[in-house]
Amino acid sequence: MSAGMIIAYILIIIAGGILLYMAFRTGDRRYIYFAVAFYVVFPVLVHLPLPTSISPEARQLYDAVDGLPDSSTVMLTFDYYPSTLAETEPMSRAALHHLFKKDCRVLTMTTIPLGGPSIAERVTREVAEKYGKVYGKDFVNLGYKANYVAVLKGMGSSIETIYPTDNSGTPLSEIPMMKDIKNYEGIDFIIAVADNAIIDYWISIVNSQYGVPVGTGVTAVMAPRYFAYIGAGQMTGMLGGMKGAAEYELLVNEAGTATKGMTAQSLVHLFIIVSVAVGNVIHFMERRGRRRRIGV
Amino acid sequence: MRTTLPVIIAFLSGFAMIFLFFLSPEYSSINGVELEPEILSWVTIVGGFTLLLGVVSIVRVNYTAVKRRKEGWGYKVATLVSIFAMAVPAIIPSSMSSLFGTGPGSIYDWLFNNLDAPMMSTMFAMLAFYIASAAFRAFRARTAEATLLLITAVIVMLWRIPMGEIVLSGIHENIPNLINTYIMNGANMAVQRGIIIGAALGAAAMALRIMLGIERTYMGK
Repeated sequence: MSAGMIIAYILIIIAGGILLYMAFRTGDRRYIYFAVAFYVVFPVLVHLPLPTSISPEARQLYDAVDGLPDSSTVMLTFDYYPSTLAETEPMSRAALHHLFKKDCRVLTMTTIPLGGPSIAERVTREVAEKYGKVYGKDFVNLGYKANYVAVLKGMGSSIETIYPTDNSGTPLSEIPMMKDIKNYEGIDFIIAVADNAIIDYWISIVNSQYGVPVGTGVTAVMAPRYFAYIGAGQMTGMLGGMKGAAEYELLVNEAGTATKGMTAQSLVHLFIIVSVAVGNVIHFMERRGRRRRIGV
Repeated sequence: MRTTLPVIIAFLSGFAMIFLFFLSPEYSSINGVELEPEILSWVTIVGGFTLLLGVVSIVRVNYTAVKRRKEGWGYKVATLVSIFAMAVPAIIPSSMSSLFGTGPGSIYDWLFNNLDAPMMSTMFAMLAFYIASAAFRAFRARTAEATLLLITAVIVMLWRIPMGEIVLSGIHENIPNLINTYIMNGANMAVQRGIIIGAALGAAAMALRIMLGIERTYMGK
Protein backbone atom coordinates (compact mmCIF):
# COMPACT_ATOMS: atom_id res chain seq x y z
CA MET A 1 0.00 0.00 0.00
CA SER A 2 1.48 3.36 -1.04
CA ALA A 3 1.98 6.33 1.32
CA GLY A 4 -0.57 8.34 -0.70
CA MET A 5 -3.23 5.69 -0.18
CA ILE A 6 -2.51 5.47 3.55
CA ILE A 7 -2.91 9.25 3.80
CA ALA A 8 -6.17 9.06 1.79
CA TYR A 9 -7.51 6.37 4.16
CA ILE A 10 -6.52 8.38 7.24
CA LEU A 11 -8.27 11.47 5.83
CA ILE A 12 -11.52 9.67 5.04
CA ILE A 13 -11.50 7.97 8.45
CA ILE A 14 -11.03 11.40 10.09
CA ALA A 15 -13.95 12.73 7.99
CA GLY A 16 -16.12 9.88 9.31
CA GLY A 17 -15.00 10.64 12.85
CA ILE A 18 -16.02 14.29 12.47
CA LEU A 19 -19.46 13.24 11.12
CA LEU A 20 -19.91 10.80 14.02
CA TYR A 21 -18.96 13.52 16.50
CA MET A 22 -21.50 15.87 14.89
CA ALA A 23 -24.17 13.17 15.12
CA PHE A 24 -23.39 12.78 18.83
CA ARG A 25 -23.35 16.52 19.51
CA THR A 26 -26.52 17.39 17.63
CA GLY A 27 -28.42 14.09 17.93
CA ASP A 28 -29.16 14.43 14.20
CA ARG A 29 -28.97 11.01 12.56
CA ARG A 30 -28.59 12.58 9.12
CA TYR A 31 -24.87 12.95 9.88
CA ILE A 32 -24.71 9.15 10.15
CA TYR A 33 -26.57 8.79 6.84
CA PHE A 34 -24.20 11.25 5.21
CA ALA A 35 -21.16 9.35 6.53
CA VAL A 36 -22.47 6.04 5.11
CA ALA A 37 -23.20 7.69 1.75
CA PHE A 38 -19.72 9.23 1.77
CA TYR A 39 -18.05 5.88 2.50
CA VAL A 40 -19.99 4.14 -0.27
CA VAL A 41 -19.56 6.80 -2.95
CA PHE A 42 -15.96 7.94 -2.28
CA PRO A 43 -14.24 4.58 -3.02
CA VAL A 44 -16.28 4.31 -6.21
CA LEU A 45 -14.97 7.69 -7.39
CA VAL A 46 -11.40 7.26 -6.09
CA HIS A 47 -9.82 3.84 -6.61
CA LEU A 48 -8.36 2.66 -3.29
CA PRO A 49 -7.68 -1.08 -3.67
CA LEU A 50 -7.25 -3.32 -0.61
CA PRO A 51 -5.48 -6.70 -0.41
CA THR A 52 -8.06 -9.51 -0.18
CA SER A 53 -7.19 -12.86 1.39
CA ILE A 54 -8.83 -16.10 0.22
CA SER A 55 -11.07 -17.94 2.68
CA PRO A 56 -10.84 -21.77 2.86
CA GLU A 57 -14.49 -22.03 1.68
CA ALA A 58 -13.89 -19.95 -1.48
CA ARG A 59 -10.69 -21.89 -2.15
CA GLN A 60 -12.60 -25.17 -1.82
CA LEU A 61 -15.18 -24.07 -4.41
CA TYR A 62 -12.51 -22.85 -6.79
CA ASP A 63 -10.48 -26.05 -6.45
CA ALA A 64 -13.58 -28.22 -7.01
CA VAL A 65 -14.52 -26.38 -10.21
CA ASP A 66 -10.91 -26.19 -11.37
CA GLY A 67 -10.54 -29.94 -10.80
CA LEU A 68 -13.41 -30.79 -13.14
CA PRO A 69 -12.36 -32.23 -16.48
CA ASP A 70 -12.53 -29.68 -19.31
CA SER A 71 -15.87 -29.68 -21.16
CA SER A 72 -17.74 -30.86 -18.05
CA THR A 73 -21.37 -29.84 -17.64
CA VAL A 74 -22.05 -27.44 -14.78
CA MET A 75 -25.40 -26.09 -13.64
CA LEU A 76 -25.30 -22.48 -12.45
CA THR A 77 -28.38 -21.21 -10.67
CA PHE A 78 -29.54 -17.61 -10.42
CA ASP A 79 -31.73 -17.98 -7.35
CA TYR A 80 -31.65 -14.35 -6.32
CA TYR A 81 -33.76 -11.22 -6.43
CA PRO A 82 -32.57 -7.93 -7.94
CA SER A 83 -32.26 -6.45 -4.44
CA THR A 84 -29.12 -8.48 -3.72
CA LEU A 85 -27.49 -8.10 -7.14
CA ALA A 86 -24.51 -6.23 -5.64
CA GLU A 87 -23.50 -9.34 -3.69
CA THR A 88 -24.69 -12.18 -5.90
CA GLU A 89 -24.18 -11.07 -9.51
CA PRO A 90 -20.37 -10.82 -9.19
CA MET A 91 -20.38 -14.44 -7.93
CA SER A 92 -22.28 -15.57 -11.03
CA ARG A 93 -19.99 -13.58 -13.30
CA ALA A 94 -16.81 -14.93 -11.70
CA ALA A 95 -18.17 -18.48 -11.89
CA LEU A 96 -19.05 -18.03 -15.58
CA HIS A 97 -15.55 -16.72 -16.33
CA HIS A 98 -14.08 -19.77 -14.63
CA LEU A 99 -16.42 -22.21 -16.39
CA PHE A 100 -16.03 -20.75 -19.86
CA LYS A 101 -12.24 -20.58 -19.47
CA LYS A 102 -12.38 -24.33 -18.81
CA ASP A 103 -14.69 -24.86 -21.81
CA CYS A 104 -17.39 -26.22 -19.53
CA ARG A 105 -20.96 -26.45 -20.79
CA VAL A 106 -23.17 -24.23 -18.62
CA LEU A 107 -26.80 -24.88 -17.84
CA THR A 108 -28.49 -21.94 -16.09
CA MET A 109 -31.84 -21.85 -14.30
CA THR A 110 -33.69 -20.00 -11.57
CA THR A 111 -36.33 -20.63 -8.95
CA ILE A 112 -37.05 -16.89 -8.63
CA PRO A 113 -39.89 -15.60 -10.80
CA LEU A 114 -39.05 -11.93 -10.33
CA GLY A 115 -36.30 -11.31 -12.81
CA GLY A 116 -34.36 -14.54 -12.34
CA PRO A 117 -34.62 -15.49 -16.03
CA SER A 118 -33.69 -11.97 -17.16
CA ILE A 119 -30.66 -11.79 -14.87
CA ALA A 120 -29.47 -15.24 -16.00
CA GLU A 121 -29.96 -14.29 -19.65
CA ARG A 122 -28.16 -10.94 -19.38
CA VAL A 123 -25.20 -12.05 -17.25
CA THR A 124 -24.57 -15.32 -19.10
CA ARG A 125 -24.73 -13.78 -22.56
CA GLU A 126 -22.41 -10.90 -21.57
CA VAL A 127 -19.72 -13.25 -20.25
CA ALA A 128 -20.25 -15.85 -23.01
CA GLU A 129 -19.67 -13.20 -25.68
CA LYS A 130 -16.17 -12.57 -24.33
CA TYR A 131 -15.25 -16.24 -24.83
CA GLY A 132 -17.08 -16.67 -28.13
CA LYS A 133 -19.50 -19.21 -26.64
CA VAL A 134 -22.60 -20.14 -28.60
CA TYR A 135 -26.10 -20.46 -27.14
CA GLY A 136 -27.45 -23.99 -27.41
CA LYS A 137 -23.99 -25.50 -27.87
CA ASP A 138 -22.01 -24.11 -24.93
CA PHE A 139 -24.73 -22.75 -22.66
CA VAL A 140 -28.48 -22.98 -22.20
CA ASN A 141 -30.86 -20.96 -20.01
CA LEU A 142 -33.75 -23.08 -18.74
CA GLY A 143 -35.47 -20.09 -17.12
CA TYR A 144 -38.04 -20.32 -14.35
CA LYS A 145 -40.60 -22.88 -13.25
CA ALA A 146 -42.91 -22.54 -10.26
CA ASN A 147 -42.66 -24.57 -7.06
CA TYR A 148 -38.96 -25.04 -6.46
CA VAL A 149 -39.11 -28.26 -4.40
CA ALA A 150 -40.93 -30.05 -7.24
CA VAL A 151 -38.53 -28.52 -9.78
CA LEU A 152 -35.40 -29.66 -7.93
CA LYS A 153 -36.81 -33.12 -7.26
CA GLY A 154 -38.30 -33.50 -10.75
CA MET A 155 -35.03 -32.71 -12.55
CA GLY A 156 -33.59 -35.80 -10.88
CA SER A 157 -35.88 -37.93 -13.06
CA SER A 158 -36.14 -35.79 -16.17
CA ILE A 159 -35.14 -32.18 -16.86
CA GLU A 160 -37.34 -32.18 -19.98
CA THR A 161 -40.45 -33.08 -17.98
CA ILE A 162 -39.95 -30.02 -15.77
CA TYR A 163 -38.58 -27.73 -18.50
CA PRO A 164 -40.11 -28.81 -21.84
CA THR A 165 -38.61 -25.64 -23.36
CA ASP A 166 -35.76 -23.25 -22.59
CA ASN A 167 -36.32 -19.65 -21.48
CA SER A 168 -36.98 -18.50 -25.05
CA GLY A 169 -39.51 -21.25 -25.75
CA THR A 170 -37.26 -23.55 -27.83
CA PRO A 171 -38.02 -27.24 -27.08
CA LEU A 172 -35.10 -28.88 -25.24
CA SER A 173 -35.14 -31.72 -27.80
CA GLU A 174 -34.05 -29.17 -30.46
CA ILE A 175 -31.09 -27.86 -28.42
CA PRO A 176 -27.81 -29.71 -29.24
CA MET A 177 -26.28 -29.27 -25.76
CA MET A 178 -29.27 -30.94 -24.10
CA LYS A 179 -28.98 -34.16 -26.15
CA ASP A 180 -26.98 -35.94 -23.43
CA ILE A 181 -28.22 -33.99 -20.40
CA LYS A 182 -31.37 -35.77 -19.32
CA ASN A 183 -31.22 -35.46 -15.53
CA TYR A 184 -28.69 -34.88 -12.75
CA GLU A 185 -26.60 -37.78 -14.04
CA GLY A 186 -25.59 -35.52 -16.94
CA ILE A 187 -24.44 -32.76 -14.59
CA ASP A 188 -20.96 -32.85 -13.02
CA PHE A 189 -21.24 -29.95 -10.60
CA ILE A 190 -23.78 -27.39 -9.43
CA ILE A 191 -22.99 -23.84 -8.36
CA ALA A 192 -26.09 -22.49 -6.61
CA VAL A 193 -25.97 -18.71 -6.19
CA ALA A 194 -28.85 -17.65 -3.98
CA ASP A 195 -30.11 -15.04 -1.56
CA ASN A 196 -32.69 -17.27 0.15
CA ALA A 197 -33.21 -20.65 1.81
CA ILE A 198 -33.37 -22.53 -1.51
CA ILE A 199 -29.77 -23.57 -0.73
CA ASP A 200 -31.13 -25.99 1.92
CA TYR A 201 -33.08 -27.78 -0.82
CA TRP A 202 -30.12 -27.92 -3.21
CA ILE A 203 -28.30 -29.73 -0.41
CA SER A 204 -31.09 -31.91 1.01
CA ILE A 205 -32.62 -32.90 -2.34
CA VAL A 206 -29.98 -32.64 -5.04
CA ASN A 207 -26.76 -33.39 -3.15
CA SER A 208 -28.10 -35.87 -0.60
CA GLN A 209 -30.50 -37.79 -2.86
CA TYR A 210 -28.74 -37.61 -6.24
CA GLY A 211 -25.11 -37.20 -5.15
CA VAL A 212 -24.31 -34.19 -7.32
CA PRO A 213 -21.62 -32.01 -5.67
CA VAL A 214 -23.04 -28.57 -4.85
CA GLY A 215 -21.00 -25.41 -4.27
CA THR A 216 -22.74 -22.19 -3.32
CA GLY A 217 -22.62 -18.43 -3.41
CA VAL A 218 -24.76 -16.80 -0.75
CA THR A 219 -25.30 -13.37 0.79
CA ALA A 220 -23.20 -12.42 3.82
CA VAL A 221 -26.09 -12.74 6.27
CA MET A 222 -26.81 -16.28 5.06
CA ALA A 223 -23.22 -17.54 5.10
CA PRO A 224 -22.93 -18.52 8.81
CA ARG A 225 -25.83 -20.98 8.43
CA TYR A 226 -24.08 -22.96 5.71
CA PHE A 227 -20.86 -23.68 7.57
CA ALA A 228 -22.82 -26.62 8.99
CA TYR A 229 -23.19 -28.16 5.51
CA ILE A 230 -19.53 -27.53 4.65
CA GLY A 231 -18.46 -29.21 7.88
CA ALA A 232 -20.65 -32.21 7.05
CA GLY A 233 -19.14 -32.48 3.55
CA GLN A 234 -22.52 -31.88 1.90
CA MET A 235 -21.46 -28.56 0.43
CA THR A 236 -18.35 -28.21 -1.73
CA GLY A 237 -17.22 -24.68 -1.00
CA MET A 238 -19.02 -21.42 -0.46
CA LEU A 239 -18.73 -17.76 -1.40
CA GLY A 240 -20.03 -15.63 1.45
CA GLY A 241 -21.28 -12.16 0.51
CA MET A 242 -19.42 -9.58 -1.52
CA LYS A 243 -16.15 -10.64 0.13
CA GLY A 244 -16.69 -14.19 -1.17
CA ALA A 245 -17.41 -12.82 -4.64
CA ALA A 246 -14.22 -10.72 -4.50
CA GLU A 247 -12.25 -13.81 -3.45
CA TYR A 248 -13.55 -15.78 -6.45
CA GLU A 249 -12.83 -12.85 -8.77
CA LEU A 250 -9.29 -12.84 -7.43
CA LEU A 251 -8.95 -16.61 -7.92
CA VAL A 252 -10.13 -16.51 -11.53
CA ASN A 253 -8.13 -13.31 -12.15
CA GLU A 254 -11.18 -11.33 -13.28
CA ALA A 255 -11.45 -8.32 -10.96
CA GLY A 256 -15.00 -7.00 -11.09
CA THR A 257 -17.50 -5.04 -9.06
CA ALA A 258 -17.02 -7.12 -5.90
CA THR A 259 -13.29 -6.38 -5.82
CA LYS A 260 -14.05 -2.68 -6.30
CA GLY A 261 -16.76 -2.86 -3.63
CA MET A 262 -14.39 -4.19 -0.96
CA THR A 263 -13.11 -0.73 -0.06
CA ALA A 264 -16.62 0.69 0.39
CA GLN A 265 -17.68 -2.34 2.41
CA SER A 266 -14.57 -2.13 4.59
CA LEU A 267 -15.12 1.54 5.32
CA VAL A 268 -18.85 1.16 6.10
CA HIS A 269 -18.20 -1.88 8.34
CA LEU A 270 -15.48 0.00 10.21
CA PHE A 271 -17.76 3.01 10.56
CA ILE A 272 -20.51 0.81 12.02
CA ILE A 273 -18.04 -0.82 14.44
CA VAL A 274 -16.79 2.59 15.58
CA SER A 275 -20.43 3.79 15.88
CA VAL A 276 -21.26 0.82 18.11
CA ALA A 277 -18.17 1.47 20.25
CA VAL A 278 -18.87 5.22 20.57
CA GLY A 279 -22.56 4.58 21.28
CA ASN A 280 -21.63 2.18 24.10
CA VAL A 281 -19.03 4.51 25.61
CA ILE A 282 -21.66 7.29 25.70
CA HIS A 283 -24.21 4.88 27.18
CA PHE A 284 -21.88 3.82 30.01
CA MET A 285 -20.80 7.39 30.73
CA GLU A 286 -24.42 8.50 30.97
CA ARG A 287 -25.29 5.51 33.21
CA ARG A 288 -22.34 6.26 35.47
CA GLY A 289 -23.39 9.91 35.66
CA ARG A 290 -26.97 8.94 36.59
CA ARG A 291 -25.74 6.55 39.31
CA ARG A 292 -23.53 9.26 40.78
CA ARG A 293 -26.42 11.73 40.83
CA ILE A 294 -28.71 9.36 42.71
CA GLY A 295 -25.81 8.26 44.96
CA VAL A 296 -25.72 4.55 44.09
CA MET B 1 -67.19 -32.12 2.17
CA ARG B 2 -65.54 -28.71 1.78
CA THR B 3 -62.91 -29.68 4.34
CA THR B 4 -62.90 -33.46 3.93
CA LEU B 5 -61.95 -33.47 0.24
CA PRO B 6 -58.87 -31.21 0.64
CA VAL B 7 -57.74 -33.33 3.62
CA ILE B 8 -58.10 -36.52 1.53
CA ILE B 9 -56.16 -34.93 -1.37
CA ALA B 10 -53.44 -33.71 1.03
CA PHE B 11 -53.16 -37.16 2.63
CA LEU B 12 -53.00 -39.05 -0.67
CA SER B 13 -50.49 -36.59 -2.21
CA GLY B 14 -48.22 -36.69 0.83
CA PHE B 15 -48.50 -40.45 1.22
CA ALA B 16 -47.80 -41.02 -2.50
CA MET B 17 -44.62 -38.91 -2.42
CA ILE B 18 -43.32 -40.61 0.74
CA PHE B 19 -44.16 -44.07 -0.60
CA LEU B 20 -42.63 -43.44 -4.05
CA PHE B 21 -39.42 -42.18 -2.46
CA PHE B 22 -38.70 -45.72 -1.24
CA LEU B 23 -39.57 -47.47 -4.53
CA SER B 24 -37.27 -47.91 -7.51
CA PRO B 25 -38.70 -46.62 -10.85
CA GLU B 26 -39.61 -50.12 -12.17
CA TYR B 27 -41.99 -50.63 -9.25
CA SER B 28 -43.54 -47.15 -9.40
CA SER B 29 -44.70 -47.03 -13.03
CA ILE B 30 -48.17 -47.46 -14.47
CA ASN B 31 -48.35 -48.28 -18.21
CA GLY B 32 -44.75 -47.10 -18.60
CA VAL B 33 -45.45 -43.76 -16.93
CA GLU B 34 -43.25 -43.11 -13.90
CA LEU B 35 -45.46 -41.82 -11.13
CA GLU B 36 -42.98 -39.63 -9.26
CA PRO B 37 -41.98 -37.30 -12.17
CA GLU B 38 -45.62 -37.29 -13.27
CA ILE B 39 -46.83 -36.08 -9.87
CA LEU B 40 -43.99 -33.54 -9.68
CA SER B 41 -44.97 -32.07 -13.04
CA TRP B 42 -48.53 -31.72 -11.66
CA VAL B 43 -47.07 -29.84 -8.71
CA THR B 44 -45.30 -27.32 -10.98
CA ILE B 45 -48.55 -26.81 -12.93
CA VAL B 46 -50.49 -26.24 -9.71
CA GLY B 47 -47.70 -23.85 -8.64
CA GLY B 48 -48.28 -21.87 -11.86
CA PHE B 49 -51.96 -21.56 -11.03
CA THR B 50 -51.17 -20.25 -7.54
CA LEU B 51 -49.17 -17.44 -9.18
CA LEU B 52 -52.18 -16.65 -11.34
CA LEU B 53 -54.36 -16.65 -8.24
CA GLY B 54 -52.00 -14.12 -6.65
CA VAL B 55 -52.19 -11.83 -9.67
CA VAL B 56 -56.00 -12.03 -9.77
CA SER B 57 -56.16 -11.27 -6.05
CA ILE B 58 -53.86 -8.23 -6.21
CA VAL B 59 -55.72 -6.82 -9.24
CA ARG B 60 -59.10 -7.27 -7.52
CA VAL B 61 -58.01 -5.66 -4.23
CA ASN B 62 -56.35 -2.70 -5.94
CA TYR B 63 -59.13 -2.20 -8.49
CA THR B 64 -61.73 -2.08 -5.70
CA ALA B 65 -59.65 0.49 -3.80
CA VAL B 66 -59.32 2.67 -6.90
CA LYS B 67 -63.01 2.37 -7.71
CA ARG B 68 -63.97 3.50 -4.17
CA ARG B 69 -61.32 6.25 -4.17
CA LYS B 70 -59.82 4.95 -0.93
CA GLU B 71 -56.89 6.79 0.66
CA GLY B 72 -53.76 6.42 -1.45
CA TRP B 73 -55.69 5.18 -4.49
CA GLY B 74 -53.19 6.88 -6.78
CA TYR B 75 -50.50 4.40 -5.67
CA LYS B 76 -52.86 1.55 -6.43
CA VAL B 77 -53.29 2.90 -9.98
CA ALA B 78 -49.49 2.77 -10.28
CA THR B 79 -49.54 -0.84 -9.04
CA LEU B 80 -52.18 -1.86 -11.59
CA VAL B 81 -50.43 -0.06 -14.47
CA SER B 82 -47.12 -1.72 -13.48
CA ILE B 83 -48.67 -5.19 -13.34
CA PHE B 84 -50.18 -4.90 -16.80
CA ALA B 85 -47.14 -3.15 -18.32
CA MET B 86 -44.92 -6.03 -17.18
CA ALA B 87 -47.31 -8.93 -17.66
CA VAL B 88 -49.04 -8.25 -21.00
CA PRO B 89 -45.91 -7.92 -23.22
CA ALA B 90 -44.40 -10.94 -21.42
CA ILE B 91 -47.45 -13.15 -22.07
CA ILE B 92 -47.68 -12.35 -25.80
CA PRO B 93 -45.55 -14.95 -27.66
CA SER B 94 -42.13 -13.76 -28.82
CA SER B 95 -42.87 -15.32 -32.23
CA MET B 96 -45.04 -12.24 -32.97
CA SER B 97 -42.22 -9.78 -32.25
CA SER B 98 -38.93 -9.71 -30.35
CA LEU B 99 -40.50 -6.99 -28.17
CA PHE B 100 -42.78 -9.59 -26.64
CA GLY B 101 -42.00 -12.57 -24.40
CA THR B 102 -39.30 -12.46 -21.75
CA GLY B 103 -36.20 -12.87 -23.91
CA PRO B 104 -33.36 -10.38 -24.40
CA GLY B 105 -34.53 -7.10 -25.96
CA SER B 106 -38.15 -7.60 -24.96
CA ILE B 107 -40.28 -4.92 -23.25
CA TYR B 108 -40.42 -7.07 -20.12
CA ASP B 109 -36.64 -7.45 -20.11
CA TRP B 110 -36.12 -3.69 -20.56
CA LEU B 111 -38.57 -2.80 -17.80
CA PHE B 112 -37.00 -5.33 -15.48
CA ASN B 113 -33.37 -4.29 -16.04
CA ASN B 114 -33.98 -0.54 -16.12
CA LEU B 115 -36.79 -0.01 -13.60
CA ASP B 116 -37.43 -3.03 -11.42
CA ALA B 117 -33.85 -4.05 -10.63
CA PRO B 118 -32.60 -0.52 -9.73
CA MET B 119 -35.70 0.15 -7.60
CA MET B 120 -35.35 -3.09 -5.64
CA SER B 121 -31.61 -2.54 -5.19
CA THR B 122 -32.28 0.99 -3.93
CA MET B 123 -34.82 -0.22 -1.38
CA PHE B 124 -32.40 -2.86 -0.11
CA ALA B 125 -29.45 -0.44 -0.06
CA MET B 126 -31.37 1.90 2.25
CA LEU B 127 -31.03 -0.74 4.96
CA ALA B 128 -27.34 0.16 5.29
CA PHE B 129 -28.29 3.66 6.46
CA TYR B 130 -30.74 2.37 9.04
CA ILE B 131 -28.31 -0.27 10.29
CA ALA B 132 -25.59 2.36 10.76
CA SER B 133 -27.98 4.65 12.59
CA ALA B 134 -29.36 1.80 14.72
CA ALA B 135 -25.83 0.62 15.54
CA PHE B 136 -25.03 4.05 16.97
CA ARG B 137 -28.29 4.45 18.89
CA ALA B 138 -29.45 0.97 19.94
CA PHE B 139 -26.73 -1.72 19.94
CA ARG B 140 -25.84 -1.58 23.65
CA ALA B 141 -23.98 -3.96 25.97
CA ARG B 142 -26.75 -3.85 28.59
CA THR B 143 -26.52 -7.50 29.70
CA ALA B 144 -23.88 -10.25 29.63
CA GLU B 145 -25.62 -11.93 26.65
CA ALA B 146 -25.85 -8.65 24.73
CA THR B 147 -22.16 -7.98 25.45
CA LEU B 148 -21.19 -11.42 24.14
CA LEU B 149 -23.29 -10.88 21.01
CA LEU B 150 -21.80 -7.44 20.48
CA ILE B 151 -18.19 -8.59 20.85
CA THR B 152 -18.75 -11.56 18.51
CA ALA B 153 -20.50 -9.35 15.94
CA VAL B 154 -17.64 -6.85 15.97
CA ILE B 155 -15.01 -9.60 15.60
CA VAL B 156 -16.87 -11.29 12.72
CA MET B 157 -17.52 -7.96 10.99
CA LEU B 158 -13.82 -7.16 11.16
CA TRP B 159 -12.92 -10.66 9.94
CA ARG B 160 -15.17 -10.35 6.87
CA ILE B 161 -13.55 -7.20 5.46
CA PRO B 162 -10.06 -6.74 4.01
CA MET B 163 -9.37 -3.70 6.21
CA GLY B 164 -10.44 -5.67 9.30
CA GLU B 165 -8.17 -8.54 8.32
CA ILE B 166 -5.26 -6.11 8.15
CA VAL B 167 -6.14 -4.83 11.64
CA LEU B 168 -6.58 -8.35 13.11
CA SER B 169 -3.44 -9.71 11.42
CA GLY B 170 -1.60 -6.68 12.79
CA ILE B 171 -2.43 -7.85 16.33
CA HIS B 172 -1.42 -11.44 15.55
CA GLU B 173 -1.13 -13.11 12.13
CA ASN B 174 -3.17 -16.15 13.23
CA ILE B 175 -6.24 -14.27 14.49
CA PRO B 176 -8.23 -14.47 11.18
CA ASN B 177 -7.62 -18.25 11.04
CA LEU B 178 -8.59 -18.64 14.70
CA ILE B 179 -11.88 -16.80 14.07
CA ASN B 180 -12.59 -19.08 11.12
CA THR B 181 -11.76 -22.20 13.13
CA TYR B 182 -13.29 -21.45 16.53
CA ILE B 183 -16.14 -19.01 15.84
CA MET B 184 -17.42 -19.85 12.35
CA ASN B 185 -16.49 -23.55 12.16
CA GLY B 186 -16.86 -24.08 15.92
CA ALA B 187 -19.53 -22.31 17.95
CA ASN B 188 -21.44 -21.05 14.89
CA MET B 189 -21.50 -24.45 13.19
CA ALA B 190 -22.70 -26.22 16.34
CA VAL B 191 -25.57 -23.75 16.84
CA GLN B 192 -26.53 -23.79 13.15
CA ARG B 193 -26.68 -27.59 13.16
CA GLY B 194 -29.04 -27.46 16.11
CA ILE B 195 -31.24 -24.92 14.33
CA ILE B 196 -31.26 -26.88 11.05
CA ILE B 197 -32.08 -30.20 12.75
CA GLY B 198 -34.78 -28.52 14.87
CA ALA B 199 -36.33 -26.85 11.83
CA ALA B 200 -36.27 -30.13 9.87
CA LEU B 201 -38.01 -32.01 12.70
CA GLY B 202 -40.57 -29.18 12.92
CA ALA B 203 -41.19 -29.37 9.15
CA ALA B 204 -41.65 -33.16 9.33
CA ALA B 205 -44.09 -32.79 12.22
CA MET B 206 -46.01 -30.09 10.35
CA ALA B 207 -46.17 -32.27 7.20
CA LEU B 208 -47.57 -35.12 9.26
CA ARG B 209 -50.15 -32.82 10.87
CA ILE B 210 -51.28 -31.61 7.43
CA MET B 211 -51.47 -35.14 6.03
CA LEU B 212 -53.52 -36.36 8.98
CA GLY B 213 -55.86 -33.37 8.82
CA ILE B 214 -54.88 -32.01 12.25
CA GLU B 215 -53.42 -28.82 10.76
CA ARG B 216 -56.05 -27.08 8.62
CA THR B 217 -54.90 -23.45 8.55
CA TYR B 218 -54.02 -23.81 4.85
CA MET B 219 -57.78 -24.09 4.25
CA GLY B 220 -58.39 -20.86 6.13
CA LYS B 221 -59.56 -22.73 9.23
